[in-house]
Amino acid sequence: MLQALTESPVFEYVLVPAIKISLLLFAGVLPLITYLVLAERKILGFIQVRLGPNRVGPWGLLQPIADVMKLMVKEDILPERAIKWAFILAPCLVVGPAFVIFAVIPFGPPAAEAGSSFNWFVTDINVGVLFVVAMATIGVYGLLLGGWASNSKFSLLGGLRSAAQMISYEVPQGFAIVGPLILAESMSMVDIVEAQRTAGYWFIFPQFLAFFIYAVAGVAESNRNPFDLPEAESELVAGFHTEYSGMRFALFFLGEYANMIVISAVAVTLFLGGWLRPFPNVEALAFLDFGFLNSPGLVGLLWFSLKIFVFLFVYIWFRGTFPRYRFDQLMDLGWKWLIPLSLFNVFMTGLVKILR
Amino acid sequence: MAIVNRFLDKFMLLDLFAGLGITFKNMWKKKVTVQYPEERWEPAHRFRGMFRLDEDRCIKCTLCARDCPIDIVYIDWHQELNPATEKKVKVLDRFDIDVQRCMFCGLCEEACPTDPKSIWLTTKTYELATYERWTNLYVDMDELQEWHTRPDYTDREVL
Repeated sequence: MLQALTESPVFEYVLVPAIKISLLLFAGVLPLITYLVLAERKILGFIQVRLGPNRVGPWGLLQPIADVMKLMVKEDILPERAIKWAFILAPCLVVGPAFVIFAVIPFGPPAAEAGSSFNWFVTDINVGVLFVVAMATIGVYGLLLGGWASNSKFSLLGGLRSAAQMISYEVPQGFAIVGPLILAESMSMVDIVEAQRTAGYWFIFPQFLAFFIYAVAGVAESNRNPFDLPEAESELVAGFHTEYSGMRFALFFLGEYANMIVISAVAVTLFLGGWLRPFPNVEALAFLDFGFLNSPGLVGLLWFSLKIFVFLFVYIWFRGTFPRYRFDQLMDLGWKWLIPLSLFNVFMTGLVKILR
Repeated sequence: MAIVNRFLDKFMLLDLFAGLGITFKNMWKKKVTVQYPEERWEPAHRFRGMFRLDEDRCIKCTLCARDCPIDIVYIDWHQELNPATEKKVKVLDRFDIDVQRCMFCGLCEEACPTDPKSIWLTTKTYELATYERWTNLYVDMDELQEWHTRPDYTDREVL
């Protein structure tokens, strides 16, 4: 019976992905997001020479649980003049795509390399990067729709700002991604990581400019400081989610943090060698593979999460350091600096590739 | 040189990195937070807190009550014959302050003619939160003299 089940296509194409997705979401991403909020408040507190939340549980560790409980039981207000279906759809449009992207992110090595019976990621499609870019774009509609449907001027302004910002920064981000794609000659996320192993270096070294542009554009894409103009609390109350409360607000929040993780994960995959240890071809550093654990998959996952955490820390660090950009400065940076620079980078990478 | 500096500023984002350095250093500094119910802040020497009254120093002139801009100091007194010295002395019947409306301006202290003052505000008591305003924030003579021995409101039972 079990034998028959494990050999049937239902097992391979339905059950295993379902288990992986639920594990990934409910044991990985959602707890990570809730504790990311706590980490952010803690680190911001430390930067401002405060203690941060420390009352709920030891070191404030139960704070996320309390926050989630609070958001769940809060009243869900639907403004009377709001456009109802759009108002309800908007937060789902932000969260959904952000979670869908996790399907193509290689958290660990494929089955053959890990020596396990399953891949350490949900799926590997041959246009992975394109899928990520396409899905990330849908999130903008959520913000814009939420801002428009709330029937509030603050929300509308926030939505408009987010639309302008996203459109301006998706272009350099897309161009920045092209650099590693040229080097790897593949769009599959797994192949890109493997290409970094064959090349013997992470793509951040030949593609530092692209990495820098991707990081800046990524901060803008996820609406984080110093590019948090869509929700600019000192100017627009709360921007596009002014009218949202309770769980719907929490969904926007979830979407923002999921986007942060997605952008970190994509950056790690494209530029920082995914699940590979530093300098994957240098024998002297082989102890970083933690051979005694006898589980390459787990070690890969470890390295991947470590890199993601560094990236997320930098995000929070930026928020604690930089003041918000003015709107025209934001457009200036995007159109006058990042897009020409990223185009130049694509040109140079292509040139080097052809000449070699 | 100036051109080089401008180039570095503009393209290497030196000032942004300097800012990141400052916040990174701050992260490891000793935190300034005082964890209130467990730790308490020691007020400065000249800190103005709750009143104290010294009945022995008080000459019952009622100047503090007159100077009070919102008339929350209530004083009643009568004369008594001191059997030991055969002299008439004033005795306080009532010295109440309605602290609910007090703004701690300190005019009563300034008006007091005795030296040292018989009513003064430079105590270190600043925890004036209570559960019942009429019973706990309308203080009489005895309470004014021993304010600092009052139990902490957090020690009392709620309701």
